[in-house]
Amino acid sequence: MEHIYKHKKKLIYLGILPAFLLYLGFVIIPIFISARYSLVEWNGFSPPSFVGLENYAEMFGNNIFWRSLKNNMVVVLASVLGQVPIGFLLALLVNQKIKGRHFFRTIIFMPVVISAVIISLVWSMVYNYNFGLLNNILSFVGLESWIQNWLSDPDIAMFSVAAVIIWQFVGLYFIIFLAALQTVPDEILEAAKIDGAQGWKRTLYITIPLVKDSILAAVVLCISGSLKTFALIYVMTNGGPSHATEVMAIHMYDNTFNGMKFGYGSAVSIFIVIFGIVLVTIVRNLFAKFGD
Amino acid sequence: MSNKIKKLDKLKKYATYAILIFFALINIYPIFWMVMNSFKTENQISINSFSLPKSLMLSNYTRAWNAVSLGRSFMNSFIVAGIAVLITVSIGSLAAYFISRFEFPGKKLIYSFFIFGLLVPIHGTLVPIFILMRNIGLVNTRASLILPYVAFNLPLTIFILSSFMKSLPKAVEEAAIVDGAGYLRIFWSIILPMTRPALATVGILNFVYNWNEFSFALVLINDNKLMTLPLSLSLFSGQFSTDYGMQMAGLSMALVPIIAIYLLMEDQLVKGMSAGAVKG
Repeated sequence: MEHIYKHKKKLIYLGILPAFLLYLGFVIIPIFISARYSLVEWNGFSPPSFVGLENYAEMFGNNIFWRSLKNNMVVVLASVLGQVPIGFLLALLVNQKIKGRHFFRTIIFMPVVISAVIISLVWSMVYNYNFGLLNNILSFVGLESWIQNWLSDPDIAMFSVAAVIIWQFVGLYFIIFLAALQTVPDEILEAAKIDGAQGWKRTLYITIPLVKDSILAAVVLCISGSLKTFALIYVMTNGGPSHATEVMAIHMYDNTFNGMKFGYGSAVSIFIVIFGIVLVTIVRNLFAKFGD
Repeated sequence: MSNKIKKLDKLKKYATYAILIFFALINIYPIFWMVMNSFKTENQISINSFSLPKSLMLSNYTRAWNAVSLGRSFMNSFIVAGIAVLITVSIGSLAAYFISRFEFPGKKLIYSFFIFGLLVPIHGTLVPIFILMRNIGLVNTRASLILPYVAFNLPLTIFILSSFMKSLPKAVEEAAIVDGAGYLRIFWSIILPMTRPALATVGILNFVYNWNEFSFALVLINDNKLMTLPLSLSLFSGQFSTDYGMQMAGLSMALVPIIAIYLLMEDQLVKGMSAGAVKG
C-alpha cells in the first residue's frame, strides 16, 4: 500500500489546495494585514502613513473605548453567569425521564438558529416603552413602578441588551451540557444513590466533576462568543444611547466605517483578538488549577 | 419506597415541569406576541398589545413585503448562502478526504492549521477584507460575500467531515484500490456516499450560518438590489422604525423559512452546532 500513497503525493496536496488557499487568503492573511493596518494612520483613500503604536495609545486614552471594554465585560459576565448555569439547569431537568423531552429540547434551542437581526428587532418591540410586551406584563401584574424605558435609559440599557444575549444563547449551552450528561453512565449515579448521595449532592459531587470538560468548553465559548457580539447591539441600539451599550466590535466598526479611521479601527480589532486569547488562557489555567 | 420519598419525587416532578414550561414560554411568547400583533392596526397595537387580533390587517404584510423588498432579499440570501455551501462542501470534503484517509508529510500541521480557524473572530478580518474587495472591485457583488463565507466555514466543515471519514473502515477503499480505481474515483463513488449523514449536517449548518450572517453583508453590500435578508430587515430599525404593524409582519415572514428549516433538520443542526461549539 505505502508505495501507492507515496506515488500520489502530488494529488493529495492538489486536493487540499483549493480549501487551503481560500482559507489562507480570507481568514489567516487578513489578520496579519489587520495588524499592519493598526500601525498606520489611514482614511482608506490617501496613502497611509506609519505611526507606530500611536493608534493603540489613542485607543487606551479614549474614554469611549474603555466604556466599550466595560460593556463587553458586562456581556462576558452575563453570558458566563447567565447562560452557563441556566443552560446546565435546563439540561439537568430535560435529562430525566419526563414527558415532552423532545418538545422542550426543540423550544429551548430554537433562538440559537434565528438571526441576531430578527431577534434584536423582536426584542426592541418587547422593550418598547408604550406598547411593549414587558411593560404591558408589568402593568398587568400591578408592578407599574417597575416600568422602564428599557433601551433608552443609559443606566439600564446595557443590562436590557445583555438579557437578550442570554436569551438567544442559553439553548446552545443547554445542548452542549445535555450531550455531556448523556455520556454519564447510569450505573455511577445509581451507585451514588445507594451510597446515600441524594439530589443536589449527587449533582454537585458526581455529575459536575464528570462533565467538567464540557463546562470549561462552554465557558471558553461564552467568552469568545461575547467578544464577538455585534449584530444584535448594532441593530437594537447601535451602541446608544450616548455609547451606553457600545461594545468593542461596535466601537471598531463605528470608527472604521463611519469615522474613516482604518488604522484606529484595526488597532481595536487586534485588541479584541488578543484580549480574547488572554481571557481564554486565564480561564483555562484557573480550571486546571482549581478544577480537580 | 416510603410515602415521604414518593411525595418528594412528585414534588420534584412538578417543579421540573414548572421550570421547563416557564422557560419554554419565555422563548416562545415574545414571538407569538409579535405574530399576533402583526395582524393589527397601529391603533389596536398601542391600545392593547395582549389581545387577539379582531381583524386581519393583511396590508401590514403587503406593505412589509414591498418596503424592504423581502422577495428579492429572500432570493439574494438563498443564492449567496446556497452557492457558498456548495463550494464549501465540495472543496471541504475533498480536503477532508485526503486529510483523514492518507498519510503524508505535514498532515497534522495542515489539519491544526484549519482547526485554528475556529478561533478567529471575523471582526479581526473585516477591515482587510473590505479593502481587498474594494481594490479588486468586488464590493457590491455576490462574490464578495461568497468568498469569506466559504473561507470562514471551511474549518468547521473540515473538522466535522474528517472526523466522520476517519471512522469509516479502511477495508472499503483497499478493495477498490486492488480493483485499480483511482483516488478521485474512490472519493466520489465510495467515500462521499458513505459520508452522506455528515454532509447533510455541514450543509445545513453552513446554510444557516450564511443565511443569518450580518457583519460581512453590512460592510460589503450597500446596493439595495443585492441585500441579503438580515441586511434588508435591519432597515426596519432605521427608516421604518415607527410602523410597528408592518415591522412585525415583515419579521414574521422572515421567521418562516428558518423555523421550517430548523424543525425539518433539527437533529443535524443541533449536532453540528454543538460539535463546532465544543471544538471552538
